[in-house]
Amino acid sequence: MFRNYITVAFRNLINNKLYSSINIIGLAVGLAACVMIALFVRDEFSYDQQWQKAGEIHRLHTTFNNPGREPLVTVVAQGPAKQALKNYFSEDIEFATRFNVRDTVVGYGGNVFNEEIVWTDPDTVDMFNFTVVAGDVRAALNDNASLVINESFARKYFGEEAALGKILTVDVFDLQRDYRIGAVIKDLPHNTVLSFQALAMIDEKDFVNQSWMFDSWFSVSNYLYFQLKDGGGIAIIDNAISAFTDASIDVGTGPDGEPAQASSFIAHTTQPLIDIQLQPRAGARSEMKPTGSIAVVYIFAAIASFILLIACINFMNLATAKSTQRAREVAIRKVHGAQRFQLAAQFLGETIMVAIVGLLLGLVLVEISLPLFSEFVGKSLVFDYTDAPTIAALIGLVVVVGVIGGAYPALVLSGFLPAKVLGANRSAEIGGSAGLRNILVVSQFAISISLIVATSVVFGQKLYATNLDTGFNKDNLLVVRGVSRTGAQDKQDALRAEILRLPGVTNVSYSADAPSSGNENNQSVTVPGDESGGTILIGVQAVDYDFFETYQIPFVAGRAYDRVYASDVLPTPETATAGVNQQGSLIVNEGALRRFGFGSPEQSIGKTVELYIGANEAGPIRADMTIVGVVPDMPFTSIRSAARPEMYVMYPAGFDNLTVRFEGDGAVMAERIEGVWKSLITTVPYTYEYVDALLAAEFEGESNQSILLAIFAGLAVSIACLGLYGLAAFTAERRTKEIGVRKVLGATVMDIVRLLVWQFSKPVLMANLIAWPLVTYAMLRWLETFTYRLDAWLLGPLCLAAGLTALFIAWATVGGNAASVARTNPIKALRYE
Amino acid sequence: MLKLHNLSKYYRTDEVETVALNSVNIEIESGEFVAIMGPSGCGKSTLLNIIGMLDNPSSGEYVFMGEDVAGYSEAKLANIRKQNIGFIFQSFNLIDELTVAENIELALLYHNIPSKIRKERVAHVMDKVGIAHRAKHMPSQLSGGQQQRVAVARAVVGDQAMILADEPTGNLDSAHGQEVMEMLQSLNEEGTTIVMVTHSPSHADYARRTINLFDGHVVTENLRAAQ
Repeated sequence: MFRNYITVAFRNLINNKLYSSINIIGLAVGLAACVMIALFVRDEFSYDQQWQKAGEIHRLHTTFNNPGREPLVTVVAQGPAKQALKNYFSEDIEFATRFNVRDTVVGYGGNVFNEEIVWTDPDTVDMFNFTVVAGDVRAALNDNASLVINESFARKYFGEEAALGKILTVDVFDLQRDYRIGAVIKDLPHNTVLSFQALAMIDEKDFVNQSWMFDSWFSVSNYLYFQLKDGGGIAIIDNAISAFTDASIDVGTGPDGEPAQASSFIAHTTQPLIDIQLQPRAGARSEMKPTGSIAVVYIFAAIASFILLIACINFMNLATAKSTQRAREVAIRKVHGAQRFQLAAQFLGETIMVAIVGLLLGLVLVEISLPLFSEFVGKSLVFDYTDAPTIAALIGLVVVVGVIGGAYPALVLSGFLPAKVLGANRSAEIGGSAGLRNILVVSQFAISISLIVATSVVFGQKLYATNLDTGFNKDNLLVVRGVSRTGAQDKQDALRAEILRLPGVTNVSYSADAPSSGNENNQSVTVPGDESGGTILIGVQAVDYDFFETYQIPFVAGRAYDRVYASDVLPTPETATAGVNQQGSLIVNEGALRRFGFGSPEQSIGKTVELYIGANEAGPIRADMTIVGVVPDMPFTSIRSAARPEMYVMYPAGFDNLTVRFEGDGAVMAERIEGVWKSLITTVPYTYEYVDALLAAEFEGESNQSILLAIFAGLAVSIACLGLYGLAAFTAERRTKEIGVRKVLGATVMDIVRLLVWQFSKPVLMANLIAWPLVTYAMLRWLETFTYRLDAWLLGPLCLAAGLTALFIAWATVGGNAASVARTNPIKALRYE
Repeated sequence: MLKLHNLSKYYRTDEVETVALNSVNIEIESGEFVAIMGPSGCGKSTLLNIIGMLDNPSSGEYVFMGEDVAGYSEAKLANIRKQNIGFIFQSFNLIDELTVAENIELALLYHNIPSKIRKERVAHVMDKVGIAHRAKHMPSQLSGGQQQRVAVARAVVGDQAMILADEPTGNLDSAHGQEVMEMLQSLNEEGTTIVMVTHSPSHADYARRTINLFDGHVVTENLRAAQ
């Protein structure tokens, strides 16, 4: 009996080559996509699970709620917060540690390199179980002249030599010291949000002049992790966190003279370590390294399921379509005593067999494409054939797919009454199965059309964002970093002069920030005559005389800073007398004018605001800043967030970057500048970036996603079309007689092609009606996450285009088959019935 | 109406050449009722298919209403066919998914006739063959005789000058067969040319001329005087 089933199943597979290959290829691609995305998803969920105390570790975040502005959401905390937290929650918190990432110049063997070194607290060793290769991490993190480095870092500096005990010079801010390698650890696995090559102990005395790092409650730069005591819950911390904020931070008195509450300006929140990878609170780029996002995980999981679903629908469709032709076999088997359940089992067995063949081919596809996919998503994904849960999941998947594919024929076909089938002498189409097929085809194409629209919106948004009018000309700009470091700062004037002399250089300017830095610096401003008497916190950027010319930023009113006006330089507090305001010039953007309530740009020229510029022995010093120029709003420090109100001050002490506008080849220019740099500066390594690349990098995540999305959408559409082709072939076969009759009655080949093509156009058109509203809603929601986004109306044409694309693809798929059927001689179809 | 001159049809496979029709010469006048008889495999259906322009002759001449159509393209033949020729098959060849009325209307669909006129003509011809009460039924709900009446209605609804019937009574019992023959006879009396392939001598008697084929040759032609 069983052998007979296998024989019939196998012969069916062989005899119906077209149907078998459509099913097997579709299932193979669907299963392969599923397996790869499942590996991706599993990896995303594995982040930071490797730490022994992963469940107990949380992080403290700070949000600044400045009145009149969007809240500034950060995932970092103030330097003093670590000890304050430990003290305030001494019953609940076991350990706490900070990670402060610093660009550092590291010297070894006469060479200097730029490295990111992470300054941290000794508790790190108790919270994170690093794999130690050599040395003592605990001792190293308790010594302010020892480094913990990973193997890659060790290899880079010391090659095959033992790194332990070797000396590196470290140079950051005022700190210049020889550090001894105290421990070497294994490189962190890729699935953690932590990222560093070298750790050094925080000795706050080393950074007294950088009080914003570890000593200020109004500046945040530390990732602050804490570990709960055993059995403790985070709820205790969360419930008391604003009390902690109020108790820790003194914000002075409010306008009414009463002590102000810190928690009205500063909100602390916590997040479990294991949630960070998929739910980055302030965006993927504010972490130590770019994170994933739960939305992406959901989207890819959904797409994989969709592809598999489309393949399953093909399977089901072709199985039902084909099964009616096997009515005679069912009848004969029943006449000879087969029970209904035996027939059902036979059909299910056949579809499961096809699913198994599909899976085997799918695994081959996984083997072929996994390395590429891994590289693309930036992971090292491995498919482990010995992993029991994986194998169990695959077997489960195959059974589910087989049962879905075989359910309809198994249930319906097995119920055929033999007398009816044999008596009628024909394989009648069972009522309802054609309707079911139509519904399934509609859903396939609804999914495909949605994916096409989604892909084009993501691509469109990417294109829009990367071609966004940023308000400055991003092309042919090169940013040189590190100009404020010791050994470079005192050479700034010489550097500018030398670079300006290079052929191809048109402008050179210093500034505090470079585009896409993501930084935000605010200063408080008082507007004279403002009756509320309060101050406005507003963004400020230090720029050089030539900044606006270099970036080609046009002026709406007024002028740029000019060397002929001494007052253009921001006054410094050192020489000021208490109580007497200094005088200075100020360039602002239009957003700032609106915040000041100053009216039109032209009217604003000559008006003044009062700016806090620092303090000396006499007390706080302010300056009356006269507005001399107004520029348009522009998203300078990030194209992902809205342009902010901004002031531009001519303040040379704040310059960190040098921007060069050049003509010709960027690589050649970078090399020429390197020559100049090295001739002037020996203690700071030369680093540079192109501005257009900086902007593009802000959308790197979306860029990769859109390519993956396009690939998967293409796969989905191809599989859907494969199924449509099979169905069309089947239908044409089944309608042979009808086509013959129509031809005899005078129908031309075109008439027949139209007839068949129209039959398959209907479900595709219907699919549009379902897909359009759904995908429009979803994509509008997605677009809302961008400050600068495509216009919503564009979704209309995109939907239309996707619908037409699907229709044309369906026509191309069905048309060829229809034409060949329509061309056959009708007498063949009509002679024997 | 039509004239076949030295018309032959061969079927070739890789090794064997089968002769279906061998230098057939036949002339059929307008308004004739011709029966074609002969044993299985003698070429009756091939002849009918060539006359109906569903198949091309291998050699010879086929003049239809004064035109030599032997070398015409498929589209051109389809056009001549739909204007002039109606078909009736042994197995009815109705479309299962269409109702009786829709099956009949199908013959007008490729004629660029407005829907209203199509409906009128379908109603008229259904009356004529006595199937009007079944207009909304599906073919599977009809008896064989009724199905063949629908097929006859479909063959004549376009006012075709000639009807080709391939064993129209072959799948019917004698009473229903009789019914269909009488219908063909009355159509002939109204001026329609009828060419019918049949195995039944009694049904051949409805025709005024019987052509006997054997091994692709015309062996005899019998003419009967008008009744």
